[in-house]
Amino acid sequence: MLEQKDKIKVLYIDDEPNNLISFKASFRFDYTVYVANNTDEAVVQLRQHPDISVILSDQKMPDKTGVEFFEEIRKEFPNPVRILITGYADIESVINAINRGHVYRYIKKPWLEEDIKSSIEQAYKFYITTAMLAVKNDELQKAYNELDKFAYSATHDMRGPILSVLGIIDLAKNTDDISETRGMLDMMENAMQKLDNYIQNLHDYYSIRRGEVAIAEINFEDTVKDLSDIYEVSSKMNNVRFVKTVDQQETFRSDDVSLKIILNNLLSNAFKYQRKGNTDRLVDLKVEVSKGMAVITVSDNGIGIPENSINQIFNMFYRATSEEVGSGFGLYNVKDALGKLGGKIDVSSKQNEGTTFVVTIPSK
Amino acid sequence: MSQEKLNFIVVDDSKLDCFIAEKIIQNSGRAEKINTFQQATDALEHVKNLPLPHGKTIIFVDIQMPVMNGFEFVESFETLPAETREAISIYMLSSSINENDIARVRGYASVKQFLNKPLTNSSIAMVLEQF
Repeated sequence: MLEQKDKIKVLYIDDEPNNLISFKASFRFDYTVYVANNTDEAVVQLRQHPDISVILSDQKMPDKTGVEFFEEIRKEFPNPVRILITGYADIESVINAINRGHVYRYIKKPWLEEDIKSSIEQAYKFYITTAMLAVKNDELQKAYNELDKFAYSATHDMRGPILSVLGIIDLAKNTDDISETRGMLDMMENAMQKLDNYIQNLHDYYSIRRGEVAIAEINFEDTVKDLSDIYEVSSKMNNVRFVKTVDQQETFRSDDVSLKIILNNLLSNAFKYQRKGNTDRLVDLKVEVSKGMAVITVSDNGIGIPENSINQIFNMFYRATSEEVGSGFGLYNVKDALGKLGGKIDVSSKQNEGTTFVVTIPSK
Repeated sequence: MSQEKLNFIVVDDSKLDCFIAEKIIQNSGRAEKINTFQQATDALEHVKNLPLPHGKTIIFVDIQMPVMNGFEFVESFETLPAETREAISIYMLSSSINENDIARVRGYASVKQFLNKPLTNSSIAMVLEQF
């Protein structure tokens, strides 16, 4: 037998108490049955049990007909599937009700148990399909919204650097000073790096979004070694100490690409948002694997994040500072990738003291 | 004919675009003083604390900036005392080709015009004709 919570929840409305009793007696083992003696009571039941998925109503009732009742409740309760039970030959009103979409199906009185059962089962299938459609629609709407946001940002983040370079070219054309022109070349390089960085982030974004995760064994020693090769230059050039600790005694399984996206973004932020005057700049990466969990800590003693922005840093295109060049994509990608791996991230930060991100990922 | 000298304030989170604007303004030969800001909040403080009465001032402000964007800057500017706002003209500058942004610029009384990035010798010449 199905668990109580998995049973289809059915509401039956009839002004004849005997019908209610026999209905309940016949179907209480198969479904969770709620009954109502009149339409007011039925509305109360519907409000109390929003997960009722099928409503069966008698057509001929003293206060109003079943069709009228269905018509009335459709607005407040659009989701439950409505079935009409009628003993009268008022076929006109039934056809009408079905055509106007108030009723999914009708059953003749006196009903056969089999008819009721098959109607409820089919109505429930219809209910589930409709509910899934609503969920999919929601997802689509979200995707559209994101696309709008993206199109908006693309004009800024992709056109921005291009327009800057065009501006510099215009200036360079009108200058004869070689050293000044050199300076301008550096600026153009900078702008192009920004654009390239944006496009790479964009690529990451789509590989997280659309890409399948490929679970494999992860050796964090290797992962961290790869990362230190990348960040060694940054560390030397900007005079930042890069401390790495890895403690992994057990196998860990996860998606390598997603992990690298997470680590790369957190590390590049840690290196980027350093305090200018600080003489002891530090980025500390710690990886600990135990009991099927990887805990990755990335801390820095940089500029920190203002308290009123900390809730927004994972939002797409949000930037908390104009200190450095950022795309507003990085931490969004981190959160997205963690979603795929079933992990979570915590952040603590103090302005002018530094930021610590703690990422927890379960082994797959 | 000697033209009146003007003060300029450039607000853009991109260092590069600040540099471009500064150069273009210098080239125009009309600048008494140029101040550039990468944070709109800093620019707003600067405007608030301008000694009164100040000379004619032109502000070029970018739209999309973190922390405080161009629209927010203009909204805050419009709440400043009349004597501070006097003689200040704002031009909004953006790489945006978004219709809503451009339409929104027209809604601000204190904004003279929307200009496309980058600021060029010819676009600034058009602006300066009015001064």
